[in-house]
Parts: sequence; structure tokens; C-alpha cells
Amino acid sequence: MIPLGFYLVVSAILFSIGAYGFLIKRNIITLFMCIELMLNAVNLSFVAFARYYALLDGQVFVFFVMAVAAAEAAVGLGIIVALFRNRQTLNVDETNLMKW
Amino acid sequence: MDGSLALEIPQIFPEIALSVFGIAILLLDTFLPKSKRHAATGIALAAIALTAVFTLGLVGEDGTFFSGMIVVDGFSIFLRITFLVVGALTVLASSSYATRENLAVGEFQALVLFAIVGMNLMAASNELIMIFLGLETLSIASYILLGIKRSDAKSNEAALKYFLLGSFSSAFMLYGIALAYGATRTTNLEAIGREIAAGSAGMTLIYVAVGLLFVGFGFKVAVVPFHVWTPDVYEGAPTPISAFMSVGPKAAGFAVLVRVLMVAFPAAYAKWLGLVWLSAVLTMFVGNCVALVQSNIKRMLAYSSIAHAGYILVAVATRNQEGVAALLFYTLTYALMNIGAFTIVSLVSRQGDRKTYLDDYAGLGFKQPGLAAALSIFLLSLAGIPLTAGFAGKFFIFRAALESKFVWLAIIGVLNSAISVYYYLRVIVVMYMKEAPDDWSPVAMSSSAIAVIALSVLGILQFGIFPDMLISLARSSVIGYR
Amino acid sequence: MPHSILTLITFLPAGGAALLLFWPRTGASAIRNIAMGVSLLTLLLSLPLFPAFDTSNPGMQFEQSAAWIPSLGIRYHVGIDGISLFLVLLTTVLTPVAILSSWKSIQTKVREYHLFMLLLETGMIGVFVALDFFLFYVFWEVMLVPMYFLIGVWGGQRRIYAAVKFFLYTMVGSVLMLLAIIALYLLNGATTFDFPAILESLHQGNLILSPGQQHWLFLAFFFAFAIKVPLFPLHTWLPDAHVEAPTAGSVVLAGVLLKMGTYGIVRFCLPLFPEATREFTPFISLLAVVGIIYGALVAMVQTDIKKLVAYSSVSHLGFVVLGIFALNEQGLHGAMYQMLNHGISTGALFLLVGMLYDRRHTRLIDEFGGLADPLPVFSAIFMIVALSSIGLPMLNGFVGEFLILLGAFDADRTYAVIAASGVILSAVYMLWVYQRVVFGQVTNPRNRRLLDLDFREKLVLLPLVVLIFWMGIYSESFLRKMDGSVSQVLQHFRSSAVVMKH
Repeated sequence: MIPLGFYLVVSAILFSIGAYGFLIKRNIITLFMCIELMLNAVNLSFVAFARYYALLDGQVFVFFVMAVAAAEAAVGLGIIVALFRNRQTLNVDETNLMKW
Repeated sequence: MDGSLALEIPQIFPEIALSVFGIAILLLDTFLPKSKRHAATGIALAAIALTAVFTLGLVGEDGTFFSGMIVVDGFSIFLRITFLVVGALTVLASSSYATRENLAVGEFQALVLFAIVGMNLMAASNELIMIFLGLETLSIASYILLGIKRSDAKSNEAALKYFLLGSFSSAFMLYGIALAYGATRTTNLEAIGREIAAGSAGMTLIYVAVGLLFVGFGFKVAVVPFHVWTPDVYEGAPTPISAFMSVGPKAAGFAVLVRVLMVAFPAAYAKWLGLVWLSAVLTMFVGNCVALVQSNIKRMLAYSSIAHAGYILVAVATRNQEGVAALLFYTLTYALMNIGAFTIVSLVSRQGDRKTYLDDYAGLGFKQPGLAAALSIFLLSLAGIPLTAGFAGKFFIFRAALESKFVWLAIIGVLNSAISVYYYLRVIVVMYMKEAPDDWSPVAMSSSAIAVIALSVLGILQFGIFPDMLISLARSSVIGYR
Repeated sequence: MPHSILTLITFLPAGGAALLLFWPRTGASAIRNIAMGVSLLTLLLSLPLFPAFDTSNPGMQFEQSAAWIPSLGIRYHVGIDGISLFLVLLTTVLTPVAILSSWKSIQTKVREYHLFMLLLETGMIGVFVALDFFLFYVFWEVMLVPMYFLIGVWGGQRRIYAAVKFFLYTMVGSVLMLLAIIALYLLNGATTFDFPAILESLHQGNLILSPGQQHWLFLAFFFAFAIKVPLFPLHTWLPDAHVEAPTAGSVVLAGVLLKMGTYGIVRFCLPLFPEATREFTPFISLLAVVGIIYGALVAMVQTDIKKLVAYSSVSHLGFVVLGIFALNEQGLHGAMYQMLNHGISTGALFLLVGMLYDRRHTRLIDEFGGLADPLPVFSAIFMIVALSSIGLPMLNGFVGEFLILLGAFDADRTYAVIAASGVILSAVYMLWVYQRVVFGQVTNPRNRRLLDLDFREKLVLLPLVVLIFWMGIYSESFLRKMDGSVSQVLQHFRSSAVVMKH
């Protein structure tokens, strides 16, 4: 059996890749995917812990997270579409009407 | 089990009522002719009133329900009432705004109700996953509210920025939850506290988890260094939503932060205290200093709300009951003054939210004295001048800070509030000491906006001059108060 | 005398302000009459305090106390003793004078102007009568708001800068005082903000402040008061505020607001922190003396009369602080007396400058000269006031300065000698400006046709001139009323200093 630590390390790496990508990428859709990656990294942790402790609730949480992520995706894509209609761009550097 | 579950349903009547009414508004909105759609405001207000009755019916309850997922105590009831006040004022303020800006009133009000549901759930959660769900309910509703002016590029941009950074921070929080779960095998706050106290949890994992949770909440309540989204979002948002965002989610975020830190992680929290301290200081300084140079009043209020998050963070850092009571007092009174101020900003900005610059207020003081006087009261209250609720709140916070020997934090806090006076006065200077432009057009008032302003002024003066009742109430609502 | 007399005096002007709030803004003369009537009524109500004040009782009189915010131990507690009695009276006298003085010069936004004037009066009286720390702080801060508006809306060219500077300076000082107040409350068991109660537990030994605590608390209080006084080098807001404020604002600012600082020192710093007071006395006396000389020297080179008077305030208030920190009977008596003198004579000077400004719309000394000819009454009164400010015997200024120097001599001879030279300097700048403005030929043709003081203006100055003579000749009738309270402050001071030694 693969030890718990391995899952956690993979999860941490995935999470970091997501966070890093979020910070350096410029395309809104890519940012969105990075966030999804982070959420799924968390899901992996949940499942790994649940399996390790032989508990069920961790796996249930994953469903919650997936449901929430789906709702977020629906709203988020709606926002992106509205933005694209007005601005014809998906680059975050160009969404800069407001600066201090 | 089943039978007892049914008996526990009254504990979440407030949230059920709000959800049902929210859905009802959405349905009605589809079927009603366009001319009658403004009825949504009335329905939303009725829903809030009914919810308030349900919530007040819970007073005196103290316990956990639904297998320990929901906690009903003084703290959560106080906060639910705070959120209902915020919600009612937002609904009132947005009804005339939505009409003016040609927005769908029904969707607007329904989403506000859903956002209140989210905040209520956060306040009443005794469980990390529940907190996450409440937070997401709130966040998703606010993403849509921010972007509800679909054809307005600034509104789009505000929604996008909040959406991206909001979900980014949710991921951090969720990771923190996962690690806490891994360390303690549970997500129930009290159980986590017991596990940690018993020494059966891996402390390294707990420290990391608390850090991640703090990052997540830090984004939601906009404390430095997680504040960068705030000014853009508040500036671009429909103004009543800026008002809502600056008080509702902030109060909810802080409330949950306090509950999580005090119930689940008191030991780990002590470890992070230095960082909380630093974050409070930076939040106050950055908020106040950047606000000094703003010329757009919405941005100025955004930075001011960052600064206020700093004061509230001082209350969090105290870790004593007085601090928590001060937090409750402050979030409620801060809601009144900020919603009041934003409502006037929204009126003055005229159609299309165009006039949001400081110069647009020139001469308001003698052209429309009532409006200017009300805005002055809000600003003086934000600045913390005595006889306003803002002063009572700051007094309460700094009292708590000194009581837990945070002398430097208190000194930095009061000096910051002295700095803040400068930019609040700037608005008053422009209103009273500059002449109105020749092409002055009067600010159109609406009865609902007047109601919001009048209620806020009354509340600020009432809680500023006679704060006794609210202070006692806040004190008896502190977590762990029996 | 009803036991709520002080409450009545304090809030009557605020009531008048509330009335004005709902008065139609068109009736300018009615508004002036209401404001004048209210302030006169306040004066009438406050005058009986003087005879009714029991000289033999050094403690608080006319006290009233009621619960206000019980959950934080805050009470509404007011009362006056020999120290605050005269400051209350000074306020009630100067406010109607100030309102009458702006009868003609304020023509815009009349309603708001008088509204703020009356609110200011409530704030000022409140500061002097409040005996609860929280209440004191509330009045102390709230009073800033009307003053800020008076300077900022009805002031001169750089009014906004001056108003904001005034507000921020005071604010920075007072927030630290707020923390000190809270700290004192917590150290005393977090039960009460009542000043007499805290003082009592200090004397009973229930509240013991360590030297370090005294040190910092004293500094926090003193900083707030020193800004208000203003003590050199914290005085820089004063010339700006004075020069830009409308005449009535300057009168009230110089007459009453500056006294709040010195009042606060006498009322709170001395009795509460005796050890720290001793510790800082040499340093503060030094600053006071520097202020005396610096204020006088800078006043001497001013070309603007109003600025000259403003800097002379810095010098005069230096005397007051020096007198207080002589820490003996004469010094403190003199300081108390000089506070009143300065209020009256500097108030009168600002009024005179304002009258000149109303006529010529300039305050530059060079623009005038030979005014004795066209303005005989003005020149006569100016002479009396100038001499009072210099401290000529028989006029009020003499008594105060003499007592202060007597006390200071007892405490530290060097400082007393330097301060005495400050008296000479004040004679130099005052007489010099008088000479340049009043004597000689009328150099500027525009001054030739100026009209002398009219009836209203004489009425404005009359009470002040009467007081100048009265306080100069019958000083005993005033000093006697102060005696008990002043001795008590010193007695508290000495006895607590002894307790600390143990």
C-alpha cells in the first residue's frame, strides 16, 4: 500500500502548481483551470486522509467541494463571457480599468 | 435520530425562510409583468422581517444541532441579526438604485437574500465544511451581484477580480480544512479543540492548517497582504453592493475567524499571534495611508474599509471576551455607517455611477444640507469622533487591547485613527468649503434611500450616545458566555 | 440654585443650536437674535454661580451625577471648583461677545455659523465642568468639530489648511490621552471613569501607579494638553488657525480653547501623577521659558497684526505653564489668573484687529499709522488692552504675571529672570505695534476717512474693558474664590508625593 505521505506530497505539489500558475498566467481561462487544480489537490488530500483513517466523511466532503466548484464554474464562466462581450479580451493584464 | 432531526429544524428557520422567499422572488419575477416587478423589494423586506422574528425566537437557545453541525448561541444570534440589518439596508438601498440603473430588481433582491443565507450559515456553523459551504453560498451570490451590471465593463471587471481571488482564497481555506481534518480526523470545531488539547493531533499539520485558514479568511475580510482586490472591486461594483461587500462578508469572515480560532485552535492561534499582530498593524497603516491620496470616493471608502478591518483584527488579536464583544459591537455599527455613506455616494454618483470623485461633492454642504450633514455624520463616525457609534466601537476595541496588554497595538491603532481623520475630513472640506460648480444638478432622492440614511444616522447616534444596551448585548453574546 | 444648573448652562447653547437647525435659513437677523439671546441667557444663568460659589469649600460644587453607560462604568458627572468656575464664566462671557462681534462681518451661511458657535459653547463649557474622564474626552473632541467648521468655512485665504491642521494636531494629541484614560481605568480595577473616584483611590492607596506607569500616563496626558496650550515647540498650528479664523473664532480660540490645555494640566496631570510631574518639571519649565522668549521675539517681527497677537499668545501661555510648574501657591494662582487675563485681553485684541480688518480689509501694520486721529475711541481702547496685555499695574495682566514670576522665582531663579525679560519683550512688541498703528501722521490716505467704533462695537468691547479694570483693581475678589481649590491641588500633590516616597 502506498503510504499516506506520498498522497499528501502529490497533493501539495498539485496545489503549489495551481497556486503558482494562478500567479504567473495571464489568460483568464487558464487562471480558472489553475484554481480547479488547487481544489482537486485538496480533494486528493481529503480522500487520502479518509482512506487512511478509514473514515467516510472525508470522501463526502469531496462531493461537496465538487458541487461547489461546479457552481463556481457556472457563475465564473458567466462573468467571463460577459467580460469578453464588453472587452473582447481574456487577458487579465488588459482588464485594468481601475488602478490606483 | 430522524424524529430528533425534525425537531431541530426550527433552529434553521431563519435560513429556510430566506431561501424560500429568495426562490419565490425569482419565480415571481419571471411571471409578473415588468411594471410590477419592483414588488420584489417589498417581498424581500417581508422575508427579512419574518426571519428576524424567527431569529429572535431563538434567543436563549444554546447548543449544537444537526449532529453538531449547527451551533445556536448568543454569538450566532447576534451575528444573524447583524446580517439581517445589513441585508435590510442593502435591499432598501438597492431598490431605487436598481430602478435607476435599469437592473432586474427581482434578481438583485433574491441574490441579496441568498447572500444573507450564506452569512447566517457561516455564523451558525460549528463545522469547517459547513463554514466552507456558507462562505461559498455567500461568495457565489456576491460574484453575481458584483457583475449584475452586465453591460458595464467596470462591473464585469469587479466581478471577475473578486471571483478569481475569491476562489483562489477558497482553495487555500479548503486546503487548511483538509489538513486540519488530517491532523484531527474531524472537522467539528469543538472536536478539533478537544483533540488538540488532548495532544493527539500532529501540531505541525495544525500550524500549517491555521496559517492556510488565516490566508483564506484574510482574503475575504481584506486584511493586508490579502487586500489588493478590495479597491478595484468596491470601485467597480454597483454602489449598494460595494456597501454590502464592505460590511456583510467582512463581518461574517471575522466572526468565523474568531470562532474557528477560539474554539478549535486556541493553542495554534497563540503561535500565529505575532503574524496576526503584524497583519493588523499593516492593515491599518496601508488602509489609512493609501486612502489619504485617493480622489475617487469609492476607492477611498474601500481603503478605509481595509483600515477598519485592521481595527477589527486588533479585537481579534486580543483573544479575550471583551475583544470578541468589541468585534460584535464594531461590525454592527460599522455596517450602519458604511452602508449609510455608500448610499449617499450612490445617490450623488447619479445615473451610471459617474460622479464618484471628490470634486463631485463640492458645495453639497449648502446645496443639500440634509444629505451633506448625514454624510458628515457617517464620516465622523468612521473617523471615530465621540458621540458617534464609531467612537464607541473604537473605544471598546482599544479598551480590550489594553486589557490584554497590547499597548503598542493600541497606540498604533489610535494613531491610525488620527491619520484617518484627514481623509474623512477631506470630503467634508469639499462639501462645505468649496463652492458648487455652475452646472450643479441636484441629487435625486428616493424614499427608500432616505429611509436607509435616516435609519443609519439614528443608529449611529443611538449607539454613539447611549451604547450601553448594545455593549451589554454584545458582551452577553460572546462565545463561551454562560 | 437647582442642582442641575451646570447641565442647564452646558446644554442650553446646544438647545439653541438645535432650534437654529430647524429655523428657516432666510431670516438672518432672527437667527442672529436667537443665537445672541441664547448665549446671553446662558451668561445670565451662569453669573449666579459666582456669588453662590462657596469659597470655604475647596471641593466640587453644584455637582450632578447620573449613570450614563453603566456597563463601562461611565457616568454623567459634572461639577465645578475654584479652578473651573472662572473658566466657565469666561466662556459664557466671551461667547455673546464673539457673536455680537460678528454681527456685521458674517453675511453668508448665517444660520450654520451661529449653529456652530452655540455648539462650540456647549463643548467648551462641557470640558470645564466634566468630572468623568469619558465625558471630558467627549467634550474635548466634539468641540473640535464646530471650531473646524468655523475656521474652514468662514475663515481667510488659507482657511482649509489651517482648519485641517488644527483638527489633526489636536486629534493626534488627544487619541493618546484616550489610551491613557483607558489605561488609568483598567489599572483602577475597570470600574469607573469618574475622576474624583480615581483620585480618591489614588489617595487611599487602592490604586498604586508604578513610576513607569506614571511616567507614560503623564506624558500621554501632557502631550494632549501641551498641543492645546500650545507649548513650544507644538505651537505651529496656532498662528495658522488664529490668522485664518474669523474674528469671533479667534476670540474664542484664544480666549477659551487654549485654556483647556492649561486647565487639563492643573486638573489632571498634577494631582494624578505627582511624581512624574516632579520628574518633568525642569524640562517643561524650560520649554515654557523658551516659548515665552520665542513667542515674543517672533511676535516682534510680524507684519500682520493678527499674527503678532497669535504669537503673543504663545508667549503668554508660556507664562501660564511656567506658573503651573512652579508648583507653589503663588505660581498656580498666577497661572490661573493669567489664564483669565489672557482670555480677556487677547480676546479684546483680536476683536480690535477684526474691527480694523472690517474697515480696511487688511491687517498689515504698514498699511496703518496715525489712527489716533480718525479713530480716537478705538485708539483709547486699544491702548488699555495693549497695556493690560503688557501687564501694567492696576490692570489685570499685572496681577497674573507678578504672581507667576513670584512663584517661578521661588522655584527656579534663572527661569524667573529669563521670563521677566519676556515681560519686557512683550512691552516692546506691543508698544511698538501700537506706536506704528496709532501714533504719528496718517500716512495712508485711505485711513483718513475711517469711521470710529459704532455703538455695537463699543458694546462688544465694553464688558472686556470693564473686566480688565475690575480684575486689575479688585483681584482679591477673584483670587479668594480660587484659593481653596488651588491649595487643594497643591496639597493633593504634596501628600501623594509623600505617599509615593514610602
